Amino acid sequence: MKILGLSAHYHDSAAALVIDGVPVAVVQEERLSRKKNDAAFPLKAIEWCLEQAKLEPEELDAVVFYEKPMLKFERILTSALRAFPKSWSSFPKAMKNSLGEKLWVKGIISSHLGIPGSKIFFTEHHQAHAAAAFLTQPAKRAAILTADGVGEWATLSVGVGEKMDDGRVAIKLLRELHFPHSLGMLYSTFTAFLGFEVNEGEYKVMGLASYGKPEYVDQVRQVISPEKNGAFSLHLDFFDFHTTAKRSYSEKFVQLFGKPRAPHEPLDPTTPEGARYANVAASVQRVLEDTLVEITKSLHEETGESVLCFGGGVALNGVANGRILRESGFSEMYVPCSPGDAGCALGAALYADRIFFKNPHVDFPDHPYWGPSVDPEELAAVASEDGLPIETVASDDALLDRTVDLLASDKIVGWMDGPCELGPRALGNRSILAAPHTVAMKDRLNKEIKYREEFRPFAPAVPIEVAGEYFELPPGGARLGAFMSGVFPVKPEWRDKLAAITHVDGTARVQTVERDKAPKFYALLEKYGKKTGIPILLNTSFNLAGEPIVTRAVEGYSTLRRCGIDVVIAGRYIVSKKPSHAVMPTDGGTS
Amino acid sequence: MTVETTPSREPQDAHKPVRSGDAHLRIVGAAGLDRILRPLHRWVWSDARRRGEKLLKFAQTEADGGRDIARAAERTHDALLRRLYLRHALDEQRHANLFRTRGRAILREVGQKREDGDATFDGNFFSPGERGLDDLQVDEESEGSLLAFLHLSEKAAARRFAVYQEVLEVDPVTRDVFVDVLKDEAFHMNYTLSQLKRVEPKKAGWRLWWARLTRLWKGYLRIASAIANVMGGIVLAVQYFVILPIFALMAKRSAKKELPGWAPARDGGERSLRSQY
Repeated sequence: MKILGLSAHYHDSAAALVIDGVPVAVVQEERLSRKKNDAAFPLKAIEWCLEQAKLEPEELDAVVFYEKPMLKFERILTSALRAFPKSWSSFPKAMKNSLGEKLWVKGIISSHLGIPGSKIFFTEHHQAHAAAAFLTQPAKRAAILTADGVGEWATLSVGVGEKMDDGRVAIKLLRELHFPHSLGMLYSTFTAFLGFEVNEGEYKVMGLASYGKPEYVDQVRQVISPEKNGAFSLHLDFFDFHTTAKRSYSEKFVQLFGKPRAPHEPLDPTTPEGARYANVAASVQRVLEDTLVEITKSLHEETGESVLCFGGGVALNGVANGRILRESGFSEMYVPCSPGDAGCALGAALYADRIFFKNPHVDFPDHPYWGPSVDPEELAAVASEDGLPIETVASDDALLDRTVDLLASDKIVGWMDGPCELGPRALGNRSILAAPHTVAMKDRLNKEIKYREEFRPFAPAVPIEVAGEYFELPPGGARLGAFMSGVFPVKPEWRDKLAAITHVDGTARVQTVERDKAPKFYALLEKYGKKTGIPILLNTSFNLAGEPIVTRAVEGYSTLRRCGIDVVIAGRYIVSKKPSHAVMPTDGGTS
Repeated sequence: MTVETTPSREPQDAHKPVRSGDAHLRIVGAAGLDRILRPLHRWVWSDARRRGEKLLKFAQTEADGGRDIARAAERTHDALLRRLYLRHALDEQRHANLFRTRGRAILREVGQKREDGDATFDGNFFSPGERGLDDLQVDEESEGSLLAFLHLSEKAAARRFAVYQEVLEVDPVTRDVFVDVLKDEAFHMNYTLSQLKRVEPKKAGWRLWWARLTRLWKGYLRIASAIANVMGGIVLAVQYFVILPIFALMAKRSAKKELPGWAPARDGGERSLRSQY
């Protein structure tokens, strides 16, 4: 059976093709359109997915959209009515926004793909998240938690999943919290308050939190109250996101937390004002973690399951994930490589396949490498045309040796290998790699390549077998680290030698690398370990600020030419920058 | 292991230099309309806070423009164009940094962000940034049409920036930023034209006219959609106040009946995938 899953229209649109129960191609639209967080209907992604299987649209058995547009519209309209008359200015915008493309998804899919409406299906948003979390991991049974800003009405749901011996699959969502009571919206409100872009700057809040003390926890608890069984509710007079698109927090919120940070304002946690922002970040982070731990403890007691599958945008909060794993009672925790909306394309397709069409479950490898492959010849061709030095090595082994030499001599390497990753994290196929040992390397990466704030940490990649030697991993931590989904302490004795990846609070967002899932990257780590004594590399996504992660070799080349990366590697080609190619000076390009 | 290197050809070889003295300022002298609107531009730029905020918006526009040009570099199969586009993209990145740094400095000087209700008129319609009100779809353009578009766009921006630097007597530092940026704009304007003539020697003039018409058409569409947007907003606002109050009352009453905390998950059964509700 050939099923195409789609997510679109809000952020991070994507397409996923599942054939006979196995994903064959999954890609975010942004990786092909080169527009970061592209929310457009994913035509390029669809086209690429169908090309991989040499399918025409009419050969598809089903196309599954990741949410129910009419139910979502009901929520938008009802929210506007409930906020009457405060919502008068946002109402026309909301209606124009919804009554355009977003409400007529069935017709849009039908007209673009030329398929009848009878082949078009709709999961609920959190069903798609739940399926993406549960059906892409190896456990037979698990408790499921999904949490994001909002889907249709649900903002958070809990349930259980089971893959039965006869191949049948059950995903049962037990209960949910409804908009506007949302952990995702709470965190996004603080993201906006701290002067960062919503849906983009949440990582920054998490990074900033480590510089602060949770001195505002009592104030945060005034805006969110606990309810029975770990539930919570927001006190809406502190928020405006449910009444207007203009601002997400109210004047009362400002009275409670002080002046919001302007996006252009420099943020230095060592200044009193910067420390206040860091303390606010630390406080909301603490409350988010406490709330999630309460919910998951309750879920663990209720279900008795040992495995937790966690999906939705909130699952990108690696610090919270680390605490959940340590404190909730679950011995294993699984967060998919793309827990946000892009992953819902795959979740929707799998949900329809297993639950609606009742096809038996088929195991498939839980790696993130479902996107377009890199063409090394393309890199060689453009570099040769531009007269850049190209090294061609004779074997993969020689390539790894040469790469290790470069990394050990403090060169910054753009590394492209095989299919690109699904999700927001580069996991060794589209990565910028560097030696993880010095603060100077971290500063260089921030200033010359990523053009981002100094308080944001870089992640380490380490072979899974030795991760515990360098990082304090709780049971299940190594598994959680497969997609960089958990933040764990660096062992104190290694912090000085891993200064570039050790955050100010002594932690790191660890990627544990398995040989069978990423053999070349794993071998690189091993060889680097043999040369330097520490088999760990700094791994950050191969992109510049404001751009999606590179997909094609020529995009890696273009990135090389526009920032301080020293070499780009694809296939057996190593392309170096000429000294005359200047690096842009910058004061930090992002807010 | 072999090491292959080939001699470099820098993009500078491919265009005529325009950087001697103030030649760039003469080349990109302000257009008639912008000259007529000079008092308006002077007023727009006279307010320090507005100036700071406009520069930050310009920084964003330049950064976005840089990404578009980088995309053009990634798409082209013409090696010389790729090198020129990459240089152009770096210029845009540098401009973004210049505008951002200056904008932040001005806003620091005049104090922090105003309250929402105290918004100053930003005058962006009169003084847009580099790409101005144009909308560039790199993936949908042919090599020739992209160059023609870029040429016209850079020319318009250069003329506009020439006016801005003329009306910025009150702020010599910001004026210097525009003078600096203007030098690059002149280069961009020239290389896009010379490359258009190289890539499509017979169609260059036609391309430019087509690009001008396209800009006009897009301008019309923009104005028309803006008017439609305003009209739609008015109609919806009227509906909001005339039709919705009774429904709003009902919605508020039903909201009061909702209990805080967990709600049962919807169970539409397996058939529910056919429904959009």
